[in-house]
Amino acid sequence: MTERPLRSTGEILQNLFSEPSLEHWMAREGNAPDYPSFSEYITALCKKRGEPPERVIRRADIEKSYGHHLFSGRRKPSRDTVLQLAFGFALDYDGAQQMLRSARKSPLYPRVRRDAVIIFCLAHRYDIVACQEALEQYGLPLLGEGGRNA
Amino acid sequence: MPEDTRRADLPGPAFSDCGYPPEMLADFDQMECLSSRPGRETFLLRRKADGAPAVAKCYDRAVFSALSAEREGPDASGCPGVPRLLGQYENAAFFCSVREYIPGVSLAAYVAEHEMTQQQIVDVCVRLCDILGALHARPTPIIHRDVKPENVILGDDGGVYLIDFDTARTFKPEAESDTQFFGTRGYAAPEQYGFAQTDERADIYSLGVLLRFLLTGSVRESAHVRLYRPLAKIIDRCTAFAPEKRYQTVGAVKSALLAANPRRQALRAGGIVLAALALCAALAFGGVKLYQRITYTPFTPDHIPAFVSDEDRIADAVAYLREKYGTALFDAPDDIATVGDLRAALMELYGLERDYVYGINTDMPQESEAFFLPWGWDDGQTVDRDIAVYAAVKAHDPAIVADWSSLKDDNGFYPGVRVAVAFAEETGITTGANRPGDISLGELALIFANTDRVFDAAAGK
Repeated sequence: MTERPLRSTGEILQNLFSEPSLEHWMAREGNAPDYPSFSEYITALCKKRGEPPERVIRRADIEKSYGHHLFSGRRKPSRDTVLQLAFGFALDYDGAQQMLRSARKSPLYPRVRRDAVIIFCLAHRYDIVACQEALEQYGLPLLGEGGRNA
Repeated sequence: MPEDTRRADLPGPAFSDCGYPPEMLADFDQMECLSSRPGRETFLLRRKADGAPAVAKCYDRAVFSALSAEREGPDASGCPGVPRLLGQYENAAFFCSVREYIPGVSLAAYVAEHEMTQQQIVDVCVRLCDILGALHARPTPIIHRDVKPENVILGDDGGVYLIDFDTARTFKPEAESDTQFFGTRGYAAPEQYGFAQTDERADIYSLGVLLRFLLTGSVRESAHVRLYRPLAKIIDRCTAFAPEKRYQTVGAVKSALLAANPRRQALRAGGIVLAALALCAALAFGGVKLYQRITYTPFTPDHIPAFVSDEDRIADAVAYLREKYGTALFDAPDDIATVGDLRAALMELYGLERDYVYGINTDMPQESEAFFLPWGWDDGQTVDRDIAVYAAVKAHDPAIVADWSSLKDDNGFYPGVRVAVAFAEETGITTGANRPGDISLGELALIFANTDRVFDAAAGK
C-alpha cells in the first residue's frame, strides 16, 4: 500500500487558498489518486490517531475478525458498519460524513429520523451503546440492522 | 385532521418526522436518503413487518403541485423487469410512491469498474428491449423517457431491471421552473426537448445512446472509436433525429440486435474461425476457462452474473503465460505496456526474429508483410488494444492478417489491424468493447493468453 497523506476536504481547501500558483498545486496535488480506498482510509486514520485497530473495532462493537477484514480491505462494509466505525473512532458529524464518503455510502441526512438520531449522538459524543439506546427508545432500527449489505 | 392524530401516535416528539406521510412511516422505517434533488427525495426504506427493503420517491407538493395518485398514470408494476409498486402515500406536503428495492448494481456503476464483452452489452440491451416492449404494449403505453445506465439495474438475481419511473408519468411539472424537460441530457431524444410529442420512439433513441455508451464509453459519436459495423448501424438508426427514421418498435431493435450478434457473423466467416469456435465451445464445456462466452445464450437468469472480475482474468493470464513460457515479463501487470514490451514478448514467447519484429530488414520495402510492426515505431511508445491484438494474431498466423500497410481504408483504419481485431472479436480473443487508450501489461498478457488458447484449441491441443 502506498503511503498517502490523509487530509480532510477542509485542509485541501486551505491548501488551495494559500497556494499562489495553480500550476504548482496541480503538479503537487492534482495527480493524487482521487480518494483512498475505505480500508486505506481507516488504516491511515488509525495511524494518525496512534491507535491500534483492535481498540477501534471494540469501541465500534464490531465482531473482531470481521473488523480486521475491514481494515485489510478483504471485506466491504455496509453503511451501518461505517457508522459503527464512526463511533469506534469517536468521530464528530463531519468526520462521519467524510468516512461515509470514502466508503461511497449515502451521507447522513437529517430529514431521515434514524439519521437524525445518529447525528445527534455523534454531535453529543455518545458512545455506541448510548446511541443504540437512543435508537431503541424511538423505535428505530439499531445500527447493524440496516440491511442492504456491501 | 386525521393526519395529526397519527403523527402524535408516532414515538419521538423530539425528532420531527419532517412531514412525510405518516402512513408510510407507520409501515416502513426510513433507513437512508439515496438521493435528494430540489423537491424530490429518494429514500431507502425497510418494511417493518418483514424487513423487506423498499425505495420511496417523495415529491414535495410545493414543487410538484399537480402530482397525486390519480394523476400518477398507469402503474407499470405487472411488467417483468420493473420493480413492483408497494404503495402510494400522500398528505398535504408530500406525494410518495414506494417500490420494491432491487438488490444489485446499476449499469453505470458496473461499467465504471468492469469491461463488458460485446455479447454482454448486446444481452443487456436485448433484455431492455423486452422490458420496454412490455411497457409500450400496455393498453395505455408507458414511455419511460429516461433510459440510461443509472436507471438500469443488474440484479443480484441475474435479472436486468429498469427503474425510476419518475419521468414515465403523464403529469406536467408545472411548478418546476429549473428544468424545461424531463429526462437526461445526452440520452433524451430531440423531441423530448419540446420539438414534438414523445412516444415509444423516444425510448428507442435513448436505447441507441445507451448502446453507444456501453460500446464506446461515450454518449456522443466519436470518430476515433471503431465499432463493430452491424452494431454501429443499429445505433445510427436508433438515434436518428426524426422519429420516423428510427426503428418503430423495440421489437425491431431486438431483432436487429440478435441478427447482429457477433457469433452469427463468425459463422458466416467460416474456415478457421468456425473451427476455432467449435473447439472453443467444446473446450468451454470441457471445463477450460476461456472467459469469453463463445456461444450466445441470452435470456437465462444466470447469464448476467457470470462475470469474472478483470483482476482475476488478468492474474490468471499472467500465471498462464508464466507457466507456459516461464516468462517474467508480466510480473508488474499494472504498468503501462509499451511497444518495447510487446516486441520483447513476441520474441520471448514465440521466438520471432528480432529483425522481423523490429522491421529493420533494409532490403524490403517499408510496407510489406515482412514487417511485423509499423516501421519507425520506437520501444518507448505505448500500445493500444488493437495493436496488441494485431501483433498477437499475426505472431500465430501471419496469413490471417493482411500485411502492415500505412494506407488507411475508407473509414480511417489500418486494414491489417482491422482484420486482426475482427478475428479477435469473433473468436473471443478480445474481451469487451474497443475503448481507446493505453493498456497495461496485464491486459497485454490477457490478450496473449487468450490468443494462445484460441489457437491451441483450433490446433486441437
